[in-house]
Amino acid sequence: MEPANSFIDFLQQESGKILEQTLQHIGLTFISLLIAVVIGVPLGIAISRKPKMAAAVLGFAGILQTIPSIALLGFMIPLLGIGPAPAIVALFLYALLPIVRNTYTGITQVDPAIIEAATGIGMSARQLLFKVQIPLAMPVLLAGIRTATVINVGVATLAAYIAAGGLGEFIFGGIALNNTNMILAGAIPAALLAIIFDWGLSRIRFRKVLLMPLLILVLSSFYLLPDFYGSKLLAGFTPEFMGRNDGDVGLKKIYGLKIRTVVISDMIMYKAAFDKKVDVISGSSTDGRVKAYDLQVLQDDKHIFPPYYAAPIVRQDVLDKYPELEPVLNKLSGTINDSIMTALNYRVDILKQSPAVVAKEFLEAHHLLQSPGPGTKGTIRIGAKLFGDGYILVNIYKLLVEGYTDLHVETKTGLGGTKICFEALTNAQIDLYPEYTGTGLLVILQAPPSTLDSLGGQADKVYNYVADAFQQRYHIKWLAPVGFNNTYALMMRRQQAGTLQIKTISDLTKYLQWN
Amino acid sequence: MIKLENVSKSFANGKPAVSAVSFEVNAGETLILLGTSGSGKTTTLRMINRLILPDSGRIYVNGDAVETQRLESLRRGIGYVLQYHGLFPHYTVGENIGVVPGLLKWDASRIASRVASLMEKLHLPVSDYLHAYPHQLSGGQQQRVGLARALAADPPVLLMDEPFGALDPVTRASVRKEFRALDEIQHKTIIMVTHDVQEAFELGTHICLMDKGKVQQTGTPATLLFSPANAFVKSFFDEHRFVLELKALTLADIRPWLATLNGDDTLTVWDAIAAGMPRNTLLDAVDQYRQSKHMHGTS
Repeated sequence: MEPANSFIDFLQQESGKILEQTLQHIGLTFISLLIAVVIGVPLGIAISRKPKMAAAVLGFAGILQTIPSIALLGFMIPLLGIGPAPAIVALFLYALLPIVRNTYTGITQVDPAIIEAATGIGMSARQLLFKVQIPLAMPVLLAGIRTATVINVGVATLAAYIAAGGLGEFIFGGIALNNTNMILAGAIPAALLAIIFDWGLSRIRFRKVLLMPLLILVLSSFYLLPDFYGSKLLAGFTPEFMGRNDGDVGLKKIYGLKIRTVVISDMIMYKAAFDKKVDVISGSSTDGRVKAYDLQVLQDDKHIFPPYYAAPIVRQDVLDKYPELEPVLNKLSGTINDSIMTALNYRVDILKQSPAVVAKEFLEAHHLLQSPGPGTKGTIRIGAKLFGDGYILVNIYKLLVEGYTDLHVETKTGLGGTKICFEALTNAQIDLYPEYTGTGLLVILQAPPSTLDSLGGQADKVYNYVADAFQQRYHIKWLAPVGFNNTYALMMRRQQAGTLQIKTISDLTKYLQWN
Repeated sequence: MIKLENVSKSFANGKPAVSAVSFEVNAGETLILLGTSGSGKTTTLRMINRLILPDSGRIYVNGDAVETQRLESLRRGIGYVLQYHGLFPHYTVGENIGVVPGLLKWDASRIASRVASLMEKLHLPVSDYLHAYPHQLSGGQQQRVGLARALAADPPVLLMDEPFGALDPVTRASVRKEFRALDEIQHKTIIMVTHDVQEAFELGTHICLMDKGKVQQTGTPATLLFSPANAFVKSFFDEHRFVLELKALTLADIRPWLATLNGDDTLTVWDAIAAGMPRNTLLDAVDQYRQSKHMHGTS
């Protein structure tokens, strides 16, 4: 943990961004809430009169609620692209169930004797609704709106994955970068928003209810996408890239790149570039989608992206216990270069072949495949991060270890980002995972600028530095590098890059300065 | 004023709830729909203000068939009192009482003065209760507010569904007494549902006794007691017959056997005894009345 005052420093440095993200967050939450109220309340009233419809509508809204939020955002992209529109629609769908259900419950729970009295004294259906049913359902209805608001504040963090902004930019950036201050700078305002809105809405009483649409409208208007640079091209960078010295920070400092930027998940970034939703993305050089979407990697002519050679990192105590592990894992060293890795990723990500099959065929081709032993000596748990290379490497390691030793292998793939994976390793929840030298240097060790200068971006020096530092600090050993360099790279659609004659990042900077 | 002709209604399962009910209530009369639960009396009442639509038969209010009248106007012209008062919990006492005048678009000052005068008549001090909410009132007070709400727009007709049914016996007797004494109801045409025989005899100018969805007999309390139309009617009153007779008969009815006694002819025998008139003379006269009925007996 960093000392407390550095969190304050972070808040001061980033106050502009925090305010901007908070306002976006409030805007996202309330625009979707407004739509959900406008549609959900009349829908709830309608189904309270048609009990047969009620089961169907509530059932459908309930199913929507069970769709994992990240998946729902994913479904939205083919329909609505990226940016605020799909985020608002997804949030609207989540807000719908509590609002419809509570409106329905509130209206149907009004005492039948009161309904009979109101009808019997001569109220019309409309008067019954507005003078009796809605006022009496109001506490339950408001509770539904409160629930929806709190859900929306939470789910809106995921909007950062599809370039809709909000506090998720800090949260996911922080997780990816192992930066606790950054996570807190997103998570604390998000939690405060949830608490404040929940409390605020709980204060609203029936007679003040008319103020609410006004309040929601005002809060909705916070959503104005700030547009600092009106540049011609739009960049989509991952939350991780946004906060890294060898990412957006370096681009600004070393290249002087000024480009309008949205934050986007790496899962949809390549497709978004292909679909012309964004023009420049922060990809990784070995990703299969570079090939699939015909993207051109811009040359890093000022060398700001450090080497990212992949190598398995293993806790020393595991190696001590199973000394046979190291030579087996090192069998892979030197077999996979950049283009091989891109091709393997292409088969898994784009051709949708199973990573296990791809791994098996790869080993077969290199005459490294052996049928697994009994696996009775012990269990090795191998982890991997969410994206590309990891899945395939883990499967290759599993086949190698089970083929050449008596160890059994469990795989734990999809461990969020660097922070989650590395902490799983240090806390002995996994025994090894493939890591990149550059990530180890900048994210885990957080090497000071003087060290970075002395290493000069040279692959060997970086590898030796992280290997020594990991052994000393964490008792974790870097085994031999696999061979490929999965570094960051800016990339554009090949056709656009050709038209604009952009080959390097410097070309891009110049183009943006003159246009 | 109110007339039902062969009105029938079946439940959703096809079982008849009300079969061929006919009766007529003249202006200023109080008709009691009396019967055990399931006899169809509440269903009959609710067909008059069309909370339930009859399957067949005609219903007239103020000379016009109810289905030809605009539904809301029909209901706003009929005061409606329910067993569980049905007060609006989110309205104050004043707002509850003023709701029908509000629907009829009276101006605010007229509503306010009407509400205040009704609250005084029903012993609900304006200063204490105008801004109170229903849940702050006792059961008896809530029922009075329900009654005031029904009377607020001074409708010529009142429909009352077990209006005192939810009250304990002591409160019930006192609210009932107040109700009888209320000048507001003196000229109203009232149809009231009850299963309480004593209540029926105290409040009804006429009683319509129902069983299993059918009218068994309609008539004055004395007619039902002394000239029962069938064995059901006769046995229905057996348990309280003696008291009921004293409550049903007025001095006018037994005048032929009261040669020596003067008194207000409209007084019931029960009230006359309570007022201290000679008990034995009165009871003898009642006995002779009973024998005379038996001799010309209808049953």
